[in-house]
Amino acid sequence: MNKNLINSTRLLPYGLLQLCMLLLFCGISNAQALKEVSGKVTEKATQSTLPGVNVLVQGTQRGVTTDADGNYSIEAAPEETLVFSFIGYENTSVIVGNQSIIDIEMASSLTNLDELVVVGYGTMKKSDLTGAVVRLDAKTFQNQPMTQLSDMLTGTIAGFNANQGTTASGGSSMEIRGPKSLNAGTEPMLVVDGVIFNGSMADINPADIETVDILKDASSAAVFGARAAAGVILVTTKKGKEGKPTINFSSSIGVAGTTSKYLPYDGEGYLTFRRDAMRANNPSMPSFYYDNPGNLPSGVTLDQWRAASNNAQTDNTREWLSRLRFFDVETKNYLEGKTVDWHDQVMQKGVRQNYNVSIGGGSKNVSYYWSLGYENNEGVIRGDQFAAIRSRLNVDFKVTDKISFGANTQFSDRDEGAVMATNVGSNGLPNLGQMYVMSPYGDAFDEEGNAVWFPNTFATGSPIINYYGQKRLRKQHNFFTSLYGKIDLPFGFSYKLSFQPRYTWLKDYNFYPSTTITGGQTYANGYGTRLDNSVFEYMIDHLVHWNKTFDDHSLDLTLLYNVEKYQDWSSTMSNISFVPNQNLGFNALQYGTNPGVISDDRKQTGDAVMARLNYGYKDKYLITASVRRDGYSAFGVMNPRAVFPAVALAWKLSDENFFESDIINQLKLRASWGVNGNRDIGAYSALAQLASNMYYDGTNVQVGVFNQTLSNHALVWEKTQSLNVGVDMSLWNNRVNATVEAYDMTTTDLLMRRLLPEITGFKDITSNLGKLGNKGLEFNMSSVNINRSDFTWRSSFNFALNRNQIKNLFGDYEEVVENGQTVRRELPDYSNQWFPGQALDRVWDYNIQGIWQADEKDAAAVYRLQPGDFKAVDVDNNGVYEALTDKQFIGYSAPRFRLGLRNEFTFLKNFSASIFIRGDLGHMAAFTDGLRRGGADTYDRRSTMDFPYWTAENPTNEYARLNTNTNVFGGGINFYKSASFVRLQDLSVSYNVPADVVSRLKLSSLRVFASGRNLITIDKWPGWDPESAGSNLPMPRITTVGLNLSF
Amino acid sequence: MKTILKRFAGIFSLGCMVVFTHTSCDNDWLKPEPLSFFSPENVYTSKSGFESLLITMRKDLRLENTGSMNYLVMENASSDLGAPWSQLDFYNLTPNTDVYYRFLQMFTAVYGSIKNSNVLITRIDDITWNNESERNAILAEAYWHRAYWYYRLVNSYGDVPFIGEELKGAKLDFQTHSRWAILEKIKSDLEFAVQWLPASAGPGVITKGAGNHLLAKVYLANLEYAKAEEAATQVINGPYALMKARFGIDADKAYRNVIWDLHRPKNFSNPQNRETILASIDRYEAPAAARSTGLYTMRHYNPQITQPQVLDSQGKSGMVASGPMYDSLGRGNANVRLTHTYQYGIWAYKGQTWRNTTDLRRSDINWVDVHELRYNNPASVDYGKPIDVKFLANPVDTFKHVYAIPHYIMYVPQDDPGAQPFGGNGDWYIFRLAETYLLRAEARMWQGKNADAAADINEVRERAEALPVTAGEIDIDLILDERARELFAEEPRHSELVRVSYIMAKEGRNGYSLESFSDKNFYFDRVSRYNNTYAKKIELLGNVSNMAAFHALWPIPSNVITANTMGVINQNKGYDGAESNLPPLTTIE
Repeated sequence: MNKNLINSTRLLPYGLLQLCMLLLFCGISNAQALKEVSGKVTEKATQSTLPGVNVLVQGTQRGVTTDADGNYSIEAAPEETLVFSFIGYENTSVIVGNQSIIDIEMASSLTNLDELVVVGYGTMKKSDLTGAVVRLDAKTFQNQPMTQLSDMLTGTIAGFNANQGTTASGGSSMEIRGPKSLNAGTEPMLVVDGVIFNGSMADINPADIETVDILKDASSAAVFGARAAAGVILVTTKKGKEGKPTINFSSSIGVAGTTSKYLPYDGEGYLTFRRDAMRANNPSMPSFYYDNPGNLPSGVTLDQWRAASNNAQTDNTREWLSRLRFFDVETKNYLEGKTVDWHDQVMQKGVRQNYNVSIGGGSKNVSYYWSLGYENNEGVIRGDQFAAIRSRLNVDFKVTDKISFGANTQFSDRDEGAVMATNVGSNGLPNLGQMYVMSPYGDAFDEEGNAVWFPNTFATGSPIINYYGQKRLRKQHNFFTSLYGKIDLPFGFSYKLSFQPRYTWLKDYNFYPSTTITGGQTYANGYGTRLDNSVFEYMIDHLVHWNKTFDDHSLDLTLLYNVEKYQDWSSTMSNISFVPNQNLGFNALQYGTNPGVISDDRKQTGDAVMARLNYGYKDKYLITASVRRDGYSAFGVMNPRAVFPAVALAWKLSDENFFESDIINQLKLRASWGVNGNRDIGAYSALAQLASNMYYDGTNVQVGVFNQTLSNHALVWEKTQSLNVGVDMSLWNNRVNATVEAYDMTTTDLLMRRLLPEITGFKDITSNLGKLGNKGLEFNMSSVNINRSDFTWRSSFNFALNRNQIKNLFGDYEEVVENGQTVRRELPDYSNQWFPGQALDRVWDYNIQGIWQADEKDAAAVYRLQPGDFKAVDVDNNGVYEALTDKQFIGYSAPRFRLGLRNEFTFLKNFSASIFIRGDLGHMAAFTDGLRRGGADTYDRRSTMDFPYWTAENPTNEYARLNTNTNVFGGGINFYKSASFVRLQDLSVSYNVPADVVSRLKLSSLRVFASGRNLITIDKWPGWDPESAGSNLPMPRITTVGLNLSF
Repeated sequence: MKTILKRFAGIFSLGCMVVFTHTSCDNDWLKPEPLSFFSPENVYTSKSGFESLLITMRKDLRLENTGSMNYLVMENASSDLGAPWSQLDFYNLTPNTDVYYRFLQMFTAVYGSIKNSNVLITRIDDITWNNESERNAILAEAYWHRAYWYYRLVNSYGDVPFIGEELKGAKLDFQTHSRWAILEKIKSDLEFAVQWLPASAGPGVITKGAGNHLLAKVYLANLEYAKAEEAATQVINGPYALMKARFGIDADKAYRNVIWDLHRPKNFSNPQNRETILASIDRYEAPAAARSTGLYTMRHYNPQITQPQVLDSQGKSGMVASGPMYDSLGRGNANVRLTHTYQYGIWAYKGQTWRNTTDLRRSDINWVDVHELRYNNPASVDYGKPIDVKFLANPVDTFKHVYAIPHYIMYVPQDDPGAQPFGGNGDWYIFRLAETYLLRAEARMWQGKNADAAADINEVRERAEALPVTAGEIDIDLILDERARELFAEEPRHSELVRVSYIMAKEGRNGYSLESFSDKNFYFDRVSRYNNTYAKKIELLGNVSNMAAFHALWPIPSNVITANTMGVINQNKGYDGAESNLPPLTTIE
């Protein structure tokens, strides 16, 4: 109960801070001595005049635009600076001094085609790229709330599939271009400042990120060989720039609600539900038996109603509630008019706070950047909280012109010790199930204010028990650094040695006192556990680089040797039944009387050599070739190493003399081919493992063993071979940039846990089998639609589709007769629903046509079904629902099309706004609650989710009856609903405080902003949110305000 | 500057050395090194490794009788003695779903236990043994466990795939073996085992007695009655005896009796108890990882007396889940709803009825009868008065809320005072000498030696102070009745009925035959005769009680059949999918 109070008090100091800031701004600017300055702006290469160029006096609101002849006129003081900007050209600035006429030549900037892009083990000019690389600038997201890097990636890049996380820690699922594996991990690899980072994305503070580059095709990722098949995310963090220290402070505060509601019944709804559930379970009773005696259907008298029971109570209301099988506490609360809103007990509005401070600067020989960030998010489920302190120190020392040393270091302290007011599954995700089964007429708390275990005295435990009782400490400390030295050698060679240690320390301590069900009922007199885990891993990279240009030839060679070693150590201890009392909690497990210990250590090693050559001829024809040989201990028994080659070509067509176009400024064609690997299957998957089994024979404790997994020493890498073609172009003075990519990827030697018939005693065996294909098309476009000094409008649009196909599975074939012909076809895996020739996400199930209605009773009875049950297509019309003959391909579970549209505006001089709309279209998800599974036998004692059901009085053709029979559907049935959505994912507005105010405050900039996430969603999903349809968890809708200042 | 350069050169050469050292020993560098788990290669290298496997096998016996919805729940709920209240329509038991019970999971879980035996049997000669008897004693115990579980499978599911060795890779071409082939195989394994099993051993360890007892069952199932009689005789002659005198934890409670003592789980492995041939071991004092969630006897078998359907004279709820009744009878759930036959029918003999029988197994002190159930809701006007079933709102409510309780079997208090009273941790009989007598009686009866059969039965009856039976009364129904009286919640009832059904069918008795087994069998006829649940068409949870002859055998889970893509595992006739069956294999190498 006290925890509620904390939320509001926590806001107070922050509010005061904001107030002080605002008070500081209330100054009035002084007038300065201004004179008129005028001139003409011309294009440097062609000497033609440039109309529409923005001319702004730096740090002020004074600005004009050049006229049709390129002329401008503006008032400025001598000490002021004029800044000329025009899209497609490099900004130019001039100090006014004593000039009154300032003519300017502006040089075409090749905009984003000329920027440096990070590629594996190096950087390249974007125009020289041969592969599919996409850059994100963190500035785009500066006004929206970000907990993790993934918040930048949801929906914003064609071909990068990421759904938003639902909990306070944020995060998301990530996949580049489609699933390339059946069982191995498909999360892209993270590379931070040029080195592989195996830690959690949550350890990187988004505020420290300068840019993010995504390597999508095999060629660009191939330098990371063995682990690159799932794509690579290259993160570049902020570095200090030469000059005086810049101090930047930002903070934001926000509130998270949910995008939709998917509630348990309220009191009224519960009464109706229970009436209908009782009727459904007891069809032989008269239907009015369960009606409210105060509101009987016409034609039924109170006497009839009373006589329907063998032993009616004198009080009609009590009798009615007894017929509804109300427990005493429910009856009491009903009569007293008391209800519990379980949604309010379990869910909350989460407060989010974020503060960052950084100092960056440098001199000729040193650059430094240091930051400290604090994040504290509450989720939408009570107790869900994520707090992190993250710090980064990037330094670089130039010892001589040729030698430099440096370190990029990050530290994070994540507090994940919150206990949610609901059950949490083994995947760490909450499970709201308990909230729905609670009776609104139960007691959430007893008279002393303690949470009640079984609110309506039935065996369904209250979801909030652990929230109020469990004590938890879960802290994770992470330290990662890249220490490097670089030396420039003669003949264009350079050598870089870097060492990257990573340490993590995790404490997860829990104590369940007797007030919790776990510590009071499952275990007597308390239950405590302590998990301590530490990880130490390191990588060493030796990198030799050679760069040489002669005549029309440019050569760029990279050689790498890498070794890595990972080790982790886990210890878990537990104890139960604490004496003399439980006051010391998990701090003193020795006071328990039945201790348990588990230790679990792991080790894995790897090494790699890599060579890459970039060759350019006349800067028009570009070729990149690379090869990488990787070693990894998981495959070490028989196949420790594998080779991953790649090659890519690009042709800058627009640089050819014959290319003449007034519209197209740049045109580049690209093609690449390469092989990437995936090793993400676990360090010991090739080995047979035994599990232990503790036994007590009445005298001694004994430890038994049993075979738990099968071995497969021949295990090898999963390999994805992919072909990518792309076109980059920029049009109309580089106002429009577009990239089209098409790809075809084939993954072989799929690492899979092949399911076995369970009579083997094993669920599966890890194997390399099959072939998986992904083809797709991606389109990214950005444009400057309007570019005036008082109003700009830019758009970026992305579209992606991926088509996936299982080409081969296990290589087992059968002969079947189809249309009179004997066909040999590969056997599918029905258990996993993997069908050769079909997409991995193909949904194979009964095609539900609707619901059997009352007038179809006889037709339904053929299937041993009743009105209200699911009516599915019986393909062979034989009166039996059989999996193999009657299940069909009814859809896809991954979006068929994904699109995103961002519009950015600047207006009223100091305002900017951004709107991001995103759509995932064409897919479906199983709405398992709709099956009413496992509910029928307890519907007479508990509540459930509030969504429609079929009754004879209120027939629907969409949802089944309460105790629907799904047993007759061979192989089981699932109930699918469309998960397509279009949503206004991000909306933000920011205001740059005018420069004169800012300078009076001795600041160099000040910005305030407000943003909203997931404000509007258009969808047909009956549960929480279509984007989280798989877990059916509430999706946060977040509104934030914040400020950013630097000095 | 020079020093810096030198230093850097130092780092550079260090880097080169790292390259060198790592490439020079690269095969070792990438060797996977398990740290916290064993693999078969480093465990099954000595006797102690095999003994560790045996520990797992002994622990698996507990799957029969501990935890929610253990195997015995299904065995009793689908029998003449009990009915599954929440799934009374057996047509809802399909190859895809067993609703609230575990008819399907049991099938795959039993194969998990068989796997452990197969690993030991396959690897037995991977090591050098000190002598043959040491090897054979270990092998014998593994054979026993495998035979035990196959015996359970063939009598619950009929024809099933026989897996006789450790699998070391993917296999998806299993085929079904005939029940008779499997019985032959486990028979010969057991004939080997009984030569090498120890005459006596600690609790939960397989002995020669347990070997012969199981062998007697297998011989019976295989219609080898004389051998069955002989195997049972071996046990009866062994170091066992029926308990006829008071003993154990409640021995000083004068109002109790020997039958009560015999059924206290804390007495099962008491050395004084010479009747135990084999019990599974499960103790509260064991470390948490070594104990089960409990026996769940009160939960599974007792009526749901504390539910609000049990009304008092004012129509108000007469019961609460606390206080008297709840503390001793537990939180019953009627998962095995006891039939009228078991509560009353089988206790009527020679003028005695359940009310006045001398049979201690139905004595007043050992049972809690309906008239002894009392309202326990302190808020009820009838608090403390006997529950009156005429106050129930609906006559069908008596079905699962009010019936008589064989308290002497079900009562297992929780050692943990905070736990819900479901039935706490405790040992449970797997084999007991009383059953051996009844097995020998059956073997003798099939051979027509009814007088000898009656003598065996009377050994058991006289100990329970029941009136003796005569040779003229002996038939299979009487033997099954006696098994019900003596072995309720202890024997796998459904399995034993199916075993008898196969005997009758193979011998062509009473018009039964193997060919028509799915249409007409002794199991269904006896269940129909003794358990009126299905004839009465009781309606609960929208389920109308229903059963057909083919439900004698439970369905093979469809996921096992479909995952076996390279072969055909047969489905039992009557269930969806049986039309794809192939003739079962009739030999096992």
